[in-house]
Amino acid sequence: MRRAATAILGAILIVLLCADWIAPHGYQQQFRADAGAAPCRQYRLGTDALGRDRLSRLIYGGRVSMLLAPLAALLAVTLALLVGLIAGCMGGWWERAVVTAMDLCLSLPWLFLLLAVRAMLPLNASPAASIVVTFALLGLLGWAGPSRIVLAAVKRHLASDFVLAACSEGCPPWRIALVQVLPNLRPVAAAQFWVTAPAFLLTEANLGLLGLGVAEPAPSWGNLLRELENLSQVARNPWMAAPLVALVVVVSCFQLAISTGEIEA
Amino acid sequence: MSSFEPSSEMPRDGAGALEGGALLSVHLSVDYRNKPGVLRDVVFDIFPGEIFGLIGASGSGKSTIALAILRLLETRGGSVRGSVRLEGRELLTRGEKEMRDLRGRKIALVPQSPLSALNPALRLEAHLREAWRAHASSPWKEARGSVQQLLRRLELPADDAFLRRYPHQVSVGQAQRVLVAMAVLHRPALLIADEPTSALDTVAQHEFLDLLHGLNREFAMATLYISHDLVSVAAICGRVGVLMGGRLARCGPVETLIGAGGLSALAGRVAPNSLAIGDQPLAGRHGASGAAALLHGSE
Repeated sequence: MRRAATAILGAILIVLLCADWIAPHGYQQQFRADAGAAPCRQYRLGTDALGRDRLSRLIYGGRVSMLLAPLAALLAVTLALLVGLIAGCMGGWWERAVVTAMDLCLSLPWLFLLLAVRAMLPLNASPAASIVVTFALLGLLGWAGPSRIVLAAVKRHLASDFVLAACSEGCPPWRIALVQVLPNLRPVAAAQFWVTAPAFLLTEANLGLLGLGVAEPAPSWGNLLRELENLSQVARNPWMAAPLVALVVVVSCFQLAISTGEIEA
Repeated sequence: MSSFEPSSEMPRDGAGALEGGALLSVHLSVDYRNKPGVLRDVVFDIFPGEIFGLIGASGSGKSTIALAILRLLETRGGSVRGSVRLEGRELLTRGEKEMRDLRGRKIALVPQSPLSALNPALRLEAHLREAWRAHASSPWKEARGSVQQLLRRLELPADDAFLRRYPHQVSVGQAQRVLVAMAVLHRPALLIADEPTSALDTVAQHEFLDLLHGLNREFAMATLYISHDLVSVAAICGRVGVLMGGRLARCGPVETLIGAGGLSALAGRVAPNSLAIGDQPLAGRHGASGAAALLHGSE
């Protein structure tokens, strides 16, 4: 099951990386004469109201979502490692401060916070800037959950016999943190990455749906979902739901990869 | 610490006359947060170059003493009162930085469980390198050769393939020897071996004790040998302290204690497998009669 999920993710990733060769048209190329066209040989998933090929936008949009969500997850997990390691190794006042910040961060309505911060930025930001801002925000605000897990792992390792042995050799605390504890956090960090990446993919979709994610004309799976707001139209043209299907498939594959992975770990 | 009063009834057999030259003078009490009075007025001295045995049943606080001497008991939620003097200087009042400088360089520890004491994520070379870097400024590349020589002395393969292995890829006996190599890397004045043979099979125990005895003579390194195994203690130790109920019940030369039946006071509380090596030559240091006395007392 895990292999199948990873294989699907891999295949999707290859398609997205080769978007320039696979996508039939550019993501912002408009065919005004064919606006709102149904699927045909030229436009496999039809065109949107502005006459842009849906399949091409789906592929290019996937590139933005699928590459940046993992990057944002990487940022969040790196921050979590840093915060969890420092808090765990310093202990005392540092740990209490970090745990309080974590609790505070986790008890905030996350989506609302993202919306508020994103809404503070100009709506007419350039597409590239909106992409960077959206995913940087996700990365910067997503540290709290993973760092709680990292902190627990750090505390567990600090109480281990091998850290005691390193202390008895006279190793300084910073080397114990970096050389003894950090390499042992790899499985925890990897698991957190696999949990966080699909969550960010969905969060970006939520933001995109509300028009606060990646700005037009740059496509992302989030802003492609905006078309689905008009349900009656979707019912008549079911191919419009392709971005939703892609999102569900990818997130499910991520979940499958994690659930089997966690059992093995 | 100021409220600490040494017990007047504390036995100090044999140690008193030599007290002036003691490498380590211990006089301590230990409390854990949930378990006060784990050790009460435990007093003993260790002299340069000797092997001092500390024997006691499981849970009698033997390992606690090892950690208390190294001032690492705080990490396990324990607090130490009293005095631990190394070469006449008090350790309990020293700052953490000073203690770090002493750990591994002056006092080293061979922990009880070899496999959990090695970091599963690090190769053996990284373990040795870290132990080296803790107290040496010369680059690891330069030191590597001499460390490989030490590994060979400890009857370990010293080739690159061995150093590239992870702890789970070596045997328990090899892991234990790597820990010994890490401990003696900086030629400490005192080596604390905390039940080093408990995870080893009988033959490996025998070889390990020979090795410990050899290192003690070769490096003129005092050793605090902590064990619940009467026979191994009798085999390599000059003096022995018997820990019972949080107190040092007896302390003195191993022959005296065997003669007085002091060690046999622990009879029935030692691990049965400790008797299995009674007829092997490692008990030779104090002769067959010593081992026989122990065997007799344990029945």
